Amino acid sequence: MDKLPNELKQPLVELLLSVADDKFILGHRNADWTGLAPILEEDIAFSSLSQDEISHAIAIYQIAAGLVGSTADKLAYARKPDEYLCAELVELSDEFNWAIAVCRNFFCDHHDYLRLGRLAHSSYVPLAQLAGRLVAEEQIHVQHVDMLLKRLGHGDTESRERMQSALDRLAPLATGLLEPTQGIELLEAKGVYPRIEPAMFERWTEDLRHVAEASELKLQLQAPRAEAIGGRRGRHSDAFASLLDELTEVYRLEPEAAW
Amino acid sequence: MSRLRDHLPLPAEGALISPPEGDATPFEVFIQLLRGKPHVHAGTVDAVDSEMALQFAREHYGQDQACVHIWVVPRSAMLGTDYEHDVIWRSTDRSYKLARGYQVHNRWRQFRSKEDVKEYEKEDLKEHY
Repeated sequence: MDKLPNELKQPLVELLLSVADDKFILGHRNADWTGLAPILEEDIAFSSLSQDEISHAIAIYQIAAGLVGSTADKLAYARKPDEYLCAELVELSDEFNWAIAVCRNFFCDHHDYLRLGRLAHSSYVPLAQLAGRLVAEEQIHVQHVDMLLKRLGHGDTESRERMQSALDRLAPLATGLLEPTQGIELLEAKGVYPRIEPAMFERWTEDLRHVAEASELKLQLQAPRAEAIGGRRGRHSDAFASLLDELTEVYRLEPEAAW
Repeated sequence: MSRLRDHLPLPAEGALISPPEGDATPFEVFIQLLRGKPHVHAGTVDAVDSEMALQFAREHYGQDQACVHIWVVPRSAMLGTDYEHDVIWRSTDRSYKLARGYQVHNRWRQFRSKEDVKEYEKEDLKEHY
């Protein structure tokens, strides 16, 4: 379908915002590493990949903006904190702990890869076309972060311990990525967000565990409780309000300014 | 970038136990801008193996312009000449082997104008009959 039925609009906008918000905030967090990553090569690569996150976010905001009659800038900068639908995992500061930064991207990139892969088969044609391009780029992120995980897992005792403790610390938060947005069942039923077999959590866990094992790291993931309410319903950590405040301060000076 | 960077946790003096150069070695990077065109040397990355070098090369040398293919080669696998001892270009006169002195341009022009005349003739004939 080229035109979206009205009853699917709100659910799709929420799903798109959850994808774009994750990428926008993750890209912003990752950008903090520019000039600080452990080696020069990785510094440049990590910055380049975080630019991808932002550009993916822009492209998805644009589709959402078209559906609600807004603009990508307004969606990115002019919503209230509880209108953002990102997961808590992307909000927290990695405290410039490289192991945390790598593991966070490990969880997010694998999740984004599956999510964009599903959207690439969407019955809503404009979205499928965009997601088809984005998923090919997301694969680069997955390859890159898997490479880092394997290197650090196989590095020495210190690097393995740091990675293991980062994985253990982030795993309970990471499953928050899987929290469904409102109305997702309708989108699945209409093929706008096609289901996959095995289902999302199993696929994601399997992908992650496969790489973790090859990296000599252990990974325990509990399926998220169905009643758990978090980022996808606009509930965010305390860190998020101050993050957003800083992120939007230039925009708020003159919201109508042309850039 | 955020203000978190103002309070960057810095490692304590002497905390860096690994040598700054680590175990990375240099790889040469060649990029191809169009399929079928030659790969051109783009620069160098330091990495621990080819897979890592390729990952770095994609981000370093593949993002400034549209790029379709990348090669990485460990510098240790490359053999090169020596500036001081290896002569490559000969100093004696070997200009006979260069394709100079052929008046190709004039011949080509002659050929073209003959072809043009033939085209005119065709048009003339069409108008006639």
